[in-house]
Amino acid sequence: MADDFYLRYYVGHKGKFGHEFLEFEFNKDGRLRYANNSNYKNDEIITREVYVSQSVIAELKRIVEDSEILREDDNNWPAPDRVGRQELEIVLGGQHISFTCTKLGSVLQVQNSKDPDGLRIFYYLVQNLKCFVFSLISAHFKIQPIQK
Amino acid sequence: MADDMDQDDRAQGVDKRRKGRGHRDTTEWAERYGGARFKELDPNAKPGPTASVEGWVIFITNVNEEAQEEDIHEAFAEFGDVKNIYMNLDRQTGFVKGYALVEYKGHKEAQAAINEMNGKVLLEQTIQVDWAFRKPQRRR
Repeated sequence: MADDFYLRYYVGHKGKFGHEFLEFEFNKDGRLRYANNSNYKNDEIITREVYVSQSVIAELKRIVEDSEILREDDNNWPAPDRVGRQELEIVLGGQHISFTCTKLGSVLQVQNSKDPDGLRIFYYLVQNLKCFVFSLISAHFKIQPIQK
Repeated sequence: MADDMDQDDRAQGVDKRRKGRGHRDTTEWAERYGGARFKELDPNAKPGPTASVEGWVIFITNVNEEAQEEDIHEAFAEFGDVKNIYMNLDRQTGFVKGYALVEYKGHKEAQAAINEMNGKVLLEQTIQVDWAFRKPQRRR
């Protein structure tokens, strides 16, 4: 199915405040699911779901394609560890990538890695995806996700 | 988040080119969510665009990378009171990423903006304007 599309991003860690994570998922029908979990001060998980239009999905695909992330591989990226974990899974144009990485704190960490060019693409794509999703969620639900 | 993708792949015998450690090292999504329901605003609505919490949101694409929020505001204010504008920058280049969300209080205002501005030229680029959110079409 060449027109199949799916995108999921997860970032999280386990620590003092439980399993703190952010995750969002788009499917090709436009269903966006968003989750933000923390037990900080006994907080509970926030989950939201909304269907976005095909225009939004098309723009999401454009952002992904422009990044050229589908050409990359996570072989030489720092693996998930106690500091944290990121997962980016994308189905687009007949490809299915599922990359994992530790949390990235800075551009310097990207620069010093074994695959700075590939990791940089991942680093900025993730930031752009988060901006995209946070704006959609804020606009629709009027809740303000916290940028980490 | 359901892992329908793999089942569909196997069912259709499709060989998608797979890359990444994540294929071998998946985390337990079921453990993250258990039976948690993802909150929607109106789960029983009929098909079509859907209202957001305080208004109606439209989605604009192919926005010029040097656009300012004022440009968007100016172009879209004639259809109604613009309640909110979201226009993100590319995190690497600092230029406008290319999309914007504009919110109006009323459905009519938002529809007028879509009808008039879709396909119009703004800052030398032809923009597309559509609804941002819609009601689900449930598959049975």
